[in-house]
Amino acid sequence: MRRWQLFTRGIVKENMVLVLMIGLCPALATSGTVRDGFGMGLAATFVLLFSNIIISLLRKKIPNEVRIPIFILVISTFVTIIDYFMQAFQPDLYRALGVFVPLIVVNCMILGRAEAFASKYSVLDATLDGLGVGLGFTLALTVMGAIREILGNGTFLGIVIFGEGFKKSPVIFMILPPGAFLVIGVLKALINKYVRKEIR
Amino acid sequence: MTSTRQMVVTLCIVAVICSIVLSFVYAFTSPIITETKKNLTLNGLKEVINSQEFVEIIPDTLWRAVDSSGNDIGIVFRVFPQGYGGPIPITVGLDFDGKITGVRIASAAEGLKETPGLGVKITEPDFRKQFIDKCAPEVRLRADGGEIDAITAATISSRAVTEGIRKGIETYINYLKEKYDKGEVFPDAQQFVEVIKDTLWYAIVESDTIGIVFIGVTQGYVDCIKFIVGVDNNEKITGVDVVYSNETEGIGETICDEEFLNKFKEGMPEAITGATISSQALIDAVEENLQRFKEYLK
Repeated sequence: MRRWQLFTRGIVKENMVLVLMIGLCPALATSGTVRDGFGMGLAATFVLLFSNIIISLLRKKIPNEVRIPIFILVISTFVTIIDYFMQAFQPDLYRALGVFVPLIVVNCMILGRAEAFASKYSVLDATLDGLGVGLGFTLALTVMGAIREILGNGTFLGIVIFGEGFKKSPVIFMILPPGAFLVIGVLKALINKYVRKEIR
Repeated sequence: MTSTRQMVVTLCIVAVICSIVLSFVYAFTSPIITETKKNLTLNGLKEVINSQEFVEIIPDTLWRAVDSSGNDIGIVFRVFPQGYGGPIPITVGLDFDGKITGVRIASAAEGLKETPGLGVKITEPDFRKQFIDKCAPEVRLRADGGEIDAITAATISSRAVTEGIRKGIETYINYLKEKYDKGEVFPDAQQFVEVIKDTLWYAIVESDTIGIVFIGVTQGYVDCIKFIVGVDNNEKITGVDVVYSNETEGIGETICDEEFLNKFKEGMPEAITGATISSQALIDAVEENLQRFKEYLK
C-alpha cells in the first residue's frame, strides 16, 4: 500500500508541474503540441527513472561531500544517451524540442528527486518514485500540449479536428507562450478544486 | 567525515564509468544519426526537383541533380535567410534555364522559428507554389516590383523567403553553367565507367576500354576554366569542351568556340590572338592533365 502511494503520489497529488510548480521551463516551452509534450515527458521520465535507480544503488557508496557532482554526472550521462537515441530514431522530434533535450540535465525536478528521495531510499522505492513523478510530468505536458494544439492549431497529433475553417484561423494565442501560462493556471485551479481539497 | 582521497576516487570511478557507457552509446548511434540526417536531407532535395540522385558540390549547401541515366538536370541549394524569429531553412531546385522547379521550407517541427499561425504560413503550398517556373528577377514581393504575393500579416517572413531565394539563385547560378556531356568529347564510346569520382571515366565499347575522359580546372584571365577532354588509346584527343568559364565577353570567351576547340583533335593548337591568356591557360592545362592521366590509357 505504501509502495502504491509512492508510485501514485507523483502522478496527480504531487504533480511536479501542476502542483509543485517545478520543471516549468520545459513544460512551457515544449507543450505546444501533443507530440512535443509527450516526447519531452518520456525523455524526462527515462532520465528520472534511471538516474533514480543508479543513485539509489550507489547511495551507500557516495561520499556526502561530492554527492551533487556525482548526481549531475549520472543525470547528464542519461540525458546524453536519450539525446543520441532521439537524434538517431526521432530526428523530427529532436529538432522540434531543440535545446530542451540537453537542458533536462539542469531540470531541478530530476536533481530534486535524486537528492530528496533516491539517495535515501531503496532501489524499488526509487524506481516507483521515478516512474510516478515521470508519468506525472508526461501527463501534464501531454494534456497541456493537447489543449494548446487543439485550440491553437486546430489539430490533434497533426490531424485536423474542427474542420479546415477553424484550422485556418485558430486561437493562435494558445500556441504562443502566454497560452502555456493560461493552460497551466487553469489546470492548477482544477486540481486544487477537485484533487487537493485539503488546501481549501 | 570522508577522507579527501575517498571523495576523489569515488568521483573518478563514476566519471570513468559514465564515459565508458557514453562511448558505447555513441559508437552504436553515430552511424545511425549520420544515416538519418542523410536521408532527411535527401528526401528534402527530392521534393524540389524531379531527380533521384544528387552529387554534393558544397557540403550541406549545394547539389547537382542527376537523372537515372547520369545526365545533369539542374541544381539544388539551401539558404537560411533571417526571418522574423530566426533563420528560415529553405531548399530550392533550379533547372538549366535558371527556373525554379520547387521550394521547400522546413516546418515548425523541423526547427522553423517563425510565429505560429502567421509567419509559419510561408510553409503552405499556396505561398510556395508561386515560385515555381520563376527566374531570379521575378522573385521579389509585388511591393518590391516582383511577382510574389506576400502573406498578409507576415510580410517580414515572406520577404525573407523571397529575398533569400533570389540571392541564393544569384550566388549559385554559375554552377548551372557546369553542364557537360561525356558523349560529346568521346562520340565513339557506348558507355562510361567512373574511375575517379567526378574526374576520370573509362570510355567503353563492347566491354573494351578504348580511351578516357577527364575533367580539369585551370585559372583563366577572370575566373577558373573547367574543361572536359576525351582521349583515345593512341593518346589522340577525341574532343575538348569547356564546362565552365567566365572570361571576358567577346575576347577570352572565344575559347568556347567550336572552331578553336576542334583544333585540339589535330594536336595542340596555337593560342588565340587577343585571348592569349585564356587560351594558353586552357592549352597548357589540357596538355598537363593529359600527361597526368596518361597512365590510365591501356
